[in-house]
Amino acid sequence: MQSKFSDIELIEQTLQGNQAAYADLVKRHQRFVFTLAMRFTKTREDAEEVAQDSFIKAYRSLHNFQGQSKFSTWLYSIVYTTSMTFLRKHRLDTSSIDDENNHLQLENQSGGFKNDMAENKSRSFYVNQAIEQLLPDDAMIITLFYKGEQSLEEIAITLGIEPNNVKVKLFRARQRLKEKLERNLKHEVSELI
Amino acid sequence: MNSIEEKLWNYLDGNCSPEEHETISRLIATDETYQRKYQELLAFNQELENMELDAPPMAFTYNVMETIRTEEASKPLKAGIDHRIIKAIAAFFIGTIAVLLVIALANSHTNDVHETVQIPVKVQIPALKNYISGPVLKGFLFFDVVLALFLFDGYLRKKHTLAS
Repeated sequence: MQSKFSDIELIEQTLQGNQAAYADLVKRHQRFVFTLAMRFTKTREDAEEVAQDSFIKAYRSLHNFQGQSKFSTWLYSIVYTTSMTFLRKHRLDTSSIDDENNHLQLENQSGGFKNDMAENKSRSFYVNQAIEQLLPDDAMIITLFYKGEQSLEEIAITLGIEPNNVKVKLFRARQRLKEKLERNLKHEVSELI
Repeated sequence: MNSIEEKLWNYLDGNCSPEEHETISRLIATDETYQRKYQELLAFNQELENMELDAPPMAFTYNVMETIRTEEASKPLKAGIDHRIIKAIAAFFIGTIAVLLVIALANSHTNDVHETVQIPVKVQIPALKNYISGPVLKGFLFFDVVLALFLFDGYLRKKHTLAS
């Protein structure tokens, strides 16, 4: 059950020593934070690690939160830096997942989706599949814009760039996503034929 | 703004001025290319709005809170020390130094000081020789060694935490 308190109220309660209030904050934001982490790490185990680290870092620096932006914006900037650190540490290849090997990896990840094609072929499935194939930054901007209820200015704060750059990056990310989606759908249709 | 697509995305995101908005609305209504592209982007936009979020494992919140609880429990004791205690200790030492200074000045036999400084209370330097005996000195050295080891341990712990 979601808490009736606002984020700010829960933060105040946490700072007064009420850890249960922070648990409510975690419950409220965990799905989105986990999704953002997934955009970078690509595996659930690593995403869980990054998301957990982000919430712990946020707890440690909660007294530094000024309330000038939304708590979610502040939290997502922590997720972003934690994810970037994770990528640097694990030296993951952040280039676009276009090559054949990575396509194979994605197919394996989705639990052999060829077998479940009949059940899984919703548009939402294809959108998620295409997002997984994007660069982490592109995937993050799209997720923040569409699911994070973040304005261009707030995304700019999260990523530490100018709002105009976010606008350009969002436009390009959507273009790339559309291309990948179209290509994936074409590929599926030709396989079915 | 250059391409039709860029203009339409701005229109869909609500990022254009009222004049631009009006112009694009008119183009969508009259121009077939704009109309087709707009419908395409609108459908794509809808798909993105409907995309689903990934769900973390069931025990996610519990794991986060457990880690926080463990961290809080293992916080060094110094974090819990009241700052007033530190201030009181500092005041005690400053007071002691001040008293010792007054005693030293009162008992100095330099002509200049003796003539100018007049202390109303008659104070005598305690006979320190009576207090500094062999066991006291050994006890003092032992305390110093323990304190040095304690500080060294703290330093190593801090270094280890930073490294991990």
